[in-house]
Amino acid sequence: MSGTLLAVRGLSAGYGPLRVLHDIDFSIAPGERLAIVGLNGHGKTTLFRAIMQLVGWQRGSILFDGKEIGGTRSLGEGRYTPGIVRLGIAMTPQGDAIFPGLTVREHLDCGAHAKTAWRDRTRRRERVYQLFPQLDELQGALVGKLSGGERRMVSIGRALMSDARLYLIDEPTLGLAPKVSKRVIEALVNIPLEGKAMVITEQNVALLSGAVSRMMGMHAGRLRGEVGHVGLA
Amino acid sequence: MDATLVIYALYLAAIYALMAIGISLVWSSIGMVNMAYGATFAVAGYAAYFAADSIAPAIRSWSTGVDGMVLLAVLTVMAGMIAGALFGILVYLVAFLPIHDKPNFAVRSLIVTLAINLAAVQALLFAFGPQQKALPRIFGVGRFNLLGTPMRLDQAITILTTIVLLGLVLLWLRISRRGLEIRAVMQNSEGAALCGISTRWTALPVMMLTGSLAGLAAVLLSQSIFVNPSAGTTPLIKGLTIALLGGLGSVPGAVLGAILVGFLEAITGIIPFLGQRYVLVVQFAFIVLVLLIRPRGLGGLLDETRE
Repeated sequence: MSGTLLAVRGLSAGYGPLRVLHDIDFSIAPGERLAIVGLNGHGKTTLFRAIMQLVGWQRGSILFDGKEIGGTRSLGEGRYTPGIVRLGIAMTPQGDAIFPGLTVREHLDCGAHAKTAWRDRTRRRERVYQLFPQLDELQGALVGKLSGGERRMVSIGRALMSDARLYLIDEPTLGLAPKVSKRVIEALVNIPLEGKAMVITEQNVALLSGAVSRMMGMHAGRLRGEVGHVGLA
Repeated sequence: MDATLVIYALYLAAIYALMAIGISLVWSSIGMVNMAYGATFAVAGYAAYFAADSIAPAIRSWSTGVDGMVLLAVLTVMAGMIAGALFGILVYLVAFLPIHDKPNFAVRSLIVTLAINLAAVQALLFAFGPQQKALPRIFGVGRFNLLGTPMRLDQAITILTTIVLLGLVLLWLRISRRGLEIRAVMQNSEGAALCGISTRWTALPVMMLTGSLAGLAAVLLSQSIFVNPSAGTTPLIKGLTIALLGGLGSVPGAVLGAILVGFLEAITGIIPFLGQRYVLVVQFAFIVLVLLIRPRGLGGLLDETRE
């Protein structure tokens, strides 16, 4: 097992004239669960979107498993995203940016993009249903009709269907009731990593405290080092 | 309203539905208004004409019975659909691939596809001249009685073929993996990218599929009108307005819009003081009226909303 799975060096990114990220440096090792905490509008989502090449422009190096997926780019957002996904990064977007007109089962199948994953999809779906038993009864329901918490579970389940080695989970508890938030975080913490890694962004430090291996703060587009665990929970 | 009129209305609706669904699917999946759809229609019509023209003698010498006619019909329809699909690939290569990730793609592609449309129509005019070509009556010219209602054979077969092929397309979209990917792109292209689905590769089957639908419409409509270089203009305009009427991107909306417009056209044609001349006027007045009341078209009425 090598030392780092993802190494970001000097990453800046933004939209048009707006610069959101300022020289981000961080890395994550296999088996780690990293939390990036910070307030709304300080660049957590943009960081994930820059890793997936979904921002307007970006520069700086992003090494995933030794392969460069960053670089300088000012056009063509989203053009290389499917390729990056296929390398083994699964991102669950913030909020409900998913397919409202697909059923839960179809939605999960969308996550199984690799050939082997597609053949294996029935077994993988079962695994997701074990993690989120609620979804088992909702297999045929349209995602657009589910509650916020259920949609979040579908979104995470979709990420788990793939062969990803790095999960980027963006604001998993955004807009959820405290009880539901806790359940979603519990599920995320219980996902076995085994050489994979997970980055979670979150505004509520107390929810993640003690549940992740490392925590970093983000403020005004810069990473502010290790936060350490605050004893709030 | 007598049965003949209903059949005629359904016949028009079938052809309009093919055009409208093609335009609607392209818009909702890859965000492009395909103005080259009229040219696709005309090119497919010519391909079907030449295919039928060159194979008809061989088939007639082989058999003059029903099996020969069926074979000719199938080959002509296939020629039209294949030509439509090939033209769809051309539009994909010229109007989608080079500019789809540039800013303002919706407007740029509109202009590029409009240019393709004009260029293709002029190319057809240059190559084949303005003469009308008549496709052979591949479905025969007879009439038959269904439950006491006289039906024209070609109209009945057109309605039937459209229902079967559109049903197959919608079924394919619902159950196949490629269909799942297309529907994912239609609903959320960024979400689809995050699922490893590339719009660049999803757009190709969409363009081929919609191209072949235009080809099918061309062959079916050419049973009652002639093929000429600008034959695609009216179907394009009607398809586009019906797609708008149904709410761009909504397949059930497009079908409902096509049925409404089909009936409207059939009924306007027989009202004594309006007649065939006023078909387009009445049609556009109706569409303007609907869009005034429901700016997003009929589609929203049919979609299920969250309870």
